[in-house]
Amino acid sequence: MKDQIVYFPERKERPVKPIEPGDGGDENNTPKRPDVNRPDTQELLKRMRRVDKDQSRRYRQRTGE
Amino acid sequence: MHRLFGIETEYGITLETAEQIDPVKESIELIKNYRRDPFLPLWDYDGEDPFRDERGFRAKQLNNHPDEVEEEKKDRERFAKEPGRSFREIKSDRILINGARLYNDHAHPEYSTPECQNLFDLVAHDKAGERILQKCAERRSEELGERVILYKNNTDFYGHSYGCHDNYLMAREVPFDYLKACILPFFVTRQIFAGAGKVGIETEAGLVTPGHFQLTQRSDFFHVEASVDTMHKRPIVNTRDEPHADPATYRRLHGIVGDANMSEYATALKVGTTALVIDLIEQRLIPKTFGIANPIDTIKMISHDQTYRWMLQKVDGKMISAIDHQREYLALAQKHLTHQNGDTDWVLTQWEETLNALENDPMMLTDRIDWVAKKWLLETFVESEDIEWDDPWLQSIDLEYHNIDLEESLFYGLQMQRVVTDEQIQTAMHTPPLNTRAYFRGKSLNKFEDAIKTVQWDSITFEIKGKPVTVNMNSLANPEIAQKYNEALDLSPNPQTLVEKLGLH
Repeated sequence: MKDQIVYFPERKERPVKPIEPGDGGDENNTPKRPDVNRPDTQELLKRMRRVDKDQSRRYRQRTGE
Repeated sequence: MHRLFGIETEYGITLETAEQIDPVKESIELIKNYRRDPFLPLWDYDGEDPFRDERGFRAKQLNNHPDEVEEEKKDRERFAKEPGRSFREIKSDRILINGARLYNDHAHPEYSTPECQNLFDLVAHDKAGERILQKCAERRSEELGERVILYKNNTDFYGHSYGCHDNYLMAREVPFDYLKACILPFFVTRQIFAGAGKVGIETEAGLVTPGHFQLTQRSDFFHVEASVDTMHKRPIVNTRDEPHADPATYRRLHGIVGDANMSEYATALKVGTTALVIDLIEQRLIPKTFGIANPIDTIKMISHDQTYRWMLQKVDGKMISAIDHQREYLALAQKHLTHQNGDTDWVLTQWEETLNALENDPMMLTDRIDWVAKKWLLETFVESEDIEWDDPWLQSIDLEYHNIDLEESLFYGLQMQRVVTDEQIQTAMHTPPLNTRAYFRGKSLNKFEDAIKTVQWDSITFEIKGKPVTVNMNSLANPEIAQKYNEALDLSPNPQTLVEKLGLH
């Protein structure tokens, strides 16, 4: 059955350890404490300007729980 | 904080350019993209009864949103024309090897994390759910030739809300009236750090006040103190009695009042503080004086209050701020629960720091708390573009904060504090949490999928030599028993050996 799982081929057992805050990871995925006074505002503004003004008008969902 | 907890999240689903979509169909097709092979194990619905009430009766009916009455009528007509589409296909239940459940809940893809007992395991599994669903969305987008977008939020701004439920297994011996009296006021004020923020004030009939930034996505939709309902006339305390465990020993607090959090820190604080309050409740340490005079109005008033003073009246008539109300719970937790374990001490420290920051300047929490981060984004945008707060663009910005696509999401453009690593999230996509019954579920599926007939939260039925053999996992709420079952599973080369090791065959 495992061979049939083609859409999540990366699934495999990995050794696990209890997760602790700040635990593990290399330099790129270690928990970060950003400088909240200096977020990259220009990059964020670029992302925000790309947002379609009509996105929320079109967005309709059905009631859930 | 030794208890099982988990989070169920209903995601919003849409297509990038579509004016209208069929959310039922799109949710089904999205989930199919988790894997395409025939899926044999079946979710066992016999163990579910959303009508059963903690107060000792079974509800005759559940309230439904007026729009949904019409939608369900259309569903019935549509499915009548598609006799091949069974109930099971509509639900599309997938049980994942990390112990989670992925399915179509009504008209939303829903990810239920595996039950965890370590707070940061739960955060990692909540984030793993985002990553798994995003992968499904990317595959579905390739099929469609159009981008599928998933939002981890709780409203469409037209009065239709969908949930993010935090669940806690707790002692049945706690009288429900006491539980309600203690947890309801906590839920009313928890939003000051757990809210995800929203542009506009809604009712079930639609948007009524555009441009008013409030703390939460959900508070507008709560109208009674306690009931079994979840879809309409929602209660602050849900009374659904589905423990998914031994009902003589346990009840499940099914928390429906919260927002879906993007911030890992906010998720940890929301669940961690609630778990500590349940510890206090189980020890009967919370006095009646914590009660709030008018919780239904107060939950909305706090969410809407733009002075951020959040004043409320308690049952004894005294006026107090929501921050000081939370401090009352915090003081009890500090007195009785300090140094129990690392998770508890992390929560106690961060709870206090967060309340202090909310008192001094909420914007200090821009890198931790969702509503503050969203407010900072919106303020920056309003200033930059010189637009008014009732500009509909801001609601689209609000929505895109909750996009779970790492490349598009406004949330993922921020540098938020992390409490788990990407490596831990990757691991959680494939690996169930240790010493839990979710480990038994996920690992059983990974090792013996072909032999599994049905799965429920608290049981698995194997087919062994043509006969069904059910492993009842009620006792696995105890981590020591869970560990024994899990060790037996790890050492068993086949299901027959497993059930023999467990003394079931």
